[in-house]
Amino acid sequence: MSLTATGQRILLSDVNLSYGNHPVLRGLSLHVDAGEIYALLGGNGAGKSTTMSALLGFARPDSGTVLVAGHDPAAAPDKAREQIAYVPENVALYEHLTARENAAYLLALAGRQPTGDAIDGAFEATGLQNAAWDKRLGGFSKGMRQKVAIAIALLREVPVLLLDEPSSGLDPRATADFNRLVHDVARKGAAVLMVTHDLLSAADIADRIGFLESGRIVDEASAQGEERFDVRELHRKFAREVVAA
Amino acid sequence: MTLIAHELRLLLRSRMAALALLLVALLSCAAVVAGMAEIDRQRDVIARIQPKQAQDIASIAQWVDKEKDAGSAAYYSFHATWDTPAPLAFAALGLRDVAPYILRVRALGLEAQLYDGEAFNPELALPGRFDFAFVLVYLTPLFVIALFHDLVSGEREAARLRMLDALAGSGRHLWARRVGLRGGLLFLALALPLSIGAILSHVPVGQLLAVLGLVALYLAFWIGVTLLIGRMRWSSVANAATLAGLWLVLTLVLPTIAHVAINRVIPVGQGVEISLAQREAVNRAWDIPREDTMRAFYANHPEWKDSPPLTAAFHYKWYLAFHQVGDESVAKKVADYRNAIESRDAAAHAIGWLLPSVGVQSLLTRLADTDMQAQLAYQDRIRAFHKRLRNFYYGYLFTDKPFGKADFDKAPKFEG
Repeated sequence: MSLTATGQRILLSDVNLSYGNHPVLRGLSLHVDAGEIYALLGGNGAGKSTTMSALLGFARPDSGTVLVAGHDPAAAPDKAREQIAYVPENVALYEHLTARENAAYLLALAGRQPTGDAIDGAFEATGLQNAAWDKRLGGFSKGMRQKVAIAIALLREVPVLLLDEPSSGLDPRATADFNRLVHDVARKGAAVLMVTHDLLSAADIADRIGFLESGRIVDEASAQGEERFDVRELHRKFAREVVAA
Repeated sequence: MTLIAHELRLLLRSRMAALALLLVALLSCAAVVAGMAEIDRQRDVIARIQPKQAQDIASIAQWVDKEKDAGSAAYYSFHATWDTPAPLAFAALGLRDVAPYILRVRALGLEAQLYDGEAFNPELALPGRFDFAFVLVYLTPLFVIALFHDLVSGEREAARLRMLDALAGSGRHLWARRVGLRGGLLFLALALPLSIGAILSHVPVGQLLAVLGLVALYLAFWIGVTLLIGRMRWSSVANAATLAGLWLVLTLVLPTIAHVAINRVIPVGQGVEISLAQREAVNRAWDIPREDTMRAFYANHPEWKDSPPLTAAFHYKWYLAFHQVGDESVAKKVADYRNAIESRDAAAHAIGWLLPSVGVQSLLTRLADTDMQAQLAYQDRIRAFHKRLRNFYYGYLFTDKPFGKADFDKAPKFEG
């Protein structure tokens, strides 16, 4: 599937998922379209990580539909994962490889063989300083690691980008850089789903925000045209829902 | 760049993995070199014994020629026997470092000569000399543990596992590739020095392939154990500690217990007991009428009964006869001892089916011809040679045929 194709890239419909006797997702429904950035906001235990696991095929729903670019991750995890670039909360790459080597290796694992120029281009796009490209990752900050991970995601040219708590631990400058990058990826047609508990970061970047509570979306807000969210209103809403939960 | 090349770079960039592989290669090289040096030394000693033997015989011949007495020739001349090492012996020295590989025998009682140097039951279950078998059986599992214990748990602890699993095309192929690469490199680190040593030692190709197959199987066993423990999803430290414990139990504790159990179940007297019993029988001959000894001798060797009767003077045929009667008096002890040793050997081999460390060592020493079977075969060759030697001297002694200098050349020669 190309990045410019339109339509739903991520679909969760009435998904129920339990770990043993403990239900985590209870009728979760959401969709993310091509070119859209969706932030799934929720407190601890709301089901954010489980939603990610269901999309990556690590957890099998008890009922409901999960589709990633048309593929069911539980039935065909490899097919679904081919469509996903996943950036975990703590980007842990290989410390004894350089940024370039990490990118080449992880892309090779995903079945891609980008040229050196392509890797350089992706690093440039992420704003990773030239001097860091051939340095081992041992001394990289979290922001630099995330840039490498995003560069890898860019090079994979997949229609779905999953971000797990992407801005946690980033300084404001790095957060701004990161948001710009994610926007770039979305502009190219990827559907971006980020899970976070950081309202400001979600409001900064997302086109839509879903409030996840006890395994289901209890409210959803959209950015209106050029205007971003009314953070005060979102906070009031989010705080109310968290208190209610 | 292929995935294997990426994996290789990743592996070799890990200081611990690179060091482990380097150490295996160095230990393997050192073991092969040490084994070859030891075997070269033994070959050299064997080669030197033959000219010395000729010198020794020449000096005795000089003296014997004056009296022309076959008895003196038989009594004073030692004849060398030797156990030439097989080409593969450098890889598994086995019993060659504890049992004699050279024995000089006289035509007198054999048993006392054989058991002057004791050959104990195969110490198959215990660590032996530093050779390739030692590196493979005892040290290699530790390197397998070092390289494999954190294969998956290390990725989990570094928080990379989820990311790796999320990459399409990873999964089983990734782990299979990593296992294959680590296993392959370990195999190469062991196999290359061994193969070079084998080529230099002129080991037949089939035998080398058999040993390499054994190396691969032993590696596969330990890799399998390591992967099995890895499936428990414990931490790397817990994996390493469990595997180290298993190594201790499988390579040291259980083989030692098995060894003790075999020794308890199959008691074997000391060879020196046979030697003493034979000497007692021989010494007793001085105190009994000589005719009694000759009667006992002729009963078992009627081919010499037409020999002229003994006179009052000392005659070597009586001396050699009572030595032979002494040997024959301990024949049952000898057979029992041999049977017990063979039973212990068979039991140790049987345990090898349960304990890979014992099994591999046992197979290696069998292939290298350095095990108890090889020792017993050498003993059989000595017995056969000694029999020929006795018959040779008896031919002179029991017919009172003079024995001159030239007759030494007609004496049987031991074929290594």
